[in-house]
Amino acid sequence: MDWLEQELADALARKEPAAGFDGRVRARLHRGPRWLAAAAAVLVVVGGGEAWRQYRGELAKEQVMTAMRIAGSKLNRVQVQLKGTEQ
Amino acid sequence: MRPVRTFALGTALAATLWAQQFQFNLDYLSSKASNSFDVSLNTSMLQFAARFLDTKDPDEAKVKKLIVGIEGIYIKSFEFKNPGGYAPADLEKVRTQLKAPEWSRIVGMKSGGESENIEVWARNEKGKVTGVAILASEPRQLTVANLVGNIDLESLADLGGHFGLPNLPKAPKKK
Repeated sequence: MDWLEQELADALARKEPAAGFDGRVRARLHRGPRWLAAAAAVLVVVGGGEAWRQYRGELAKEQVMTAMRIAGSKLNRVQVQLKGTEQ
Repeated sequence: MRPVRTFALGTALAATLWAQQFQFNLDYLSSKASNSFDVSLNTSMLQFAARFLDTKDPDEAKVKKLIVGIEGIYIKSFEFKNPGGYAPADLEKVRTQLKAPEWSRIVGMKSGGESENIEVWARNEKGKVTGVAILASEPRQLTVANLVGNIDLESLADLGGHFGLPNLPKAPKKK
C-alpha cells in the first residue's frame, strides 16, 4: 500500500459521530425553522398591540359619551328651566 | 430610582392639574357613594377617542363635532343611596375656587322644591371663554364638571336632551 492508498483509506474510513450528535439532529428536526417562531412572535405582539389599542379606544369613547351625557343633561335641565321662565 | 419615580409622578400630577382649571378634591366621597363616575380626558385622549366615534351614529357624530374645540373633560359624579351622602361644604370647597375675574357664574338654577341646584360657570381669559364649570347637586346626587376649551353650550345642552331628557321646543325667532 503506497502513501496515496493509505491517505484515501484514512479519509474514507468510517468515523463515529461525536457524543450527542444524534440527539442534536433530532431536536433540530422537531424545532422547525427559527424564522417561523420569530414571525409567530411578531404576529402575537402586533396583534396584541392592536387589540389593546382597540380596547383603549372603545373605553375612551365610552368615557367621552358618558361625560357628554352627564354634562349635557345638566345643561339641558337649565335650558328647560330657562325656557319655562321665559314663557 | 425613587427620586426619578417621584419626579415622574409629580410631573404627571402637575400636567393633570394644569389642564384642569380647578381642583375637585372629592375622592373621599367615592367610598360613600353607591355609584360614581370619574373621568379625566386630556386633549390627546379626546383626540384618540374621537377616532373611535362612528359618524354613522347620530349621537356619536354630534359628540365628535362638539369635542373639536374641547381640550379636556374632567367630571366627578356621585350617586348616594340616601340623602346626606355629601355635605354642602364639599361643594363649597369647589365653589370657592371659582373666583372673579376669571370665573363668572352665568346661570344658577334651583328646582324641585329647591332640592335640585345647578350652577354653570364660565372662565374668561382675554375676552374668550376658555372653560366651563358645572356644579349640580341633588339630595342623592352630586356632579362637578370642568370642560376646558371652546365649548358650544347650546349644542351640548341639545345633546343632553337628545340623550334622555326631553328636547326643548325651538325658541321663537325674535322679530
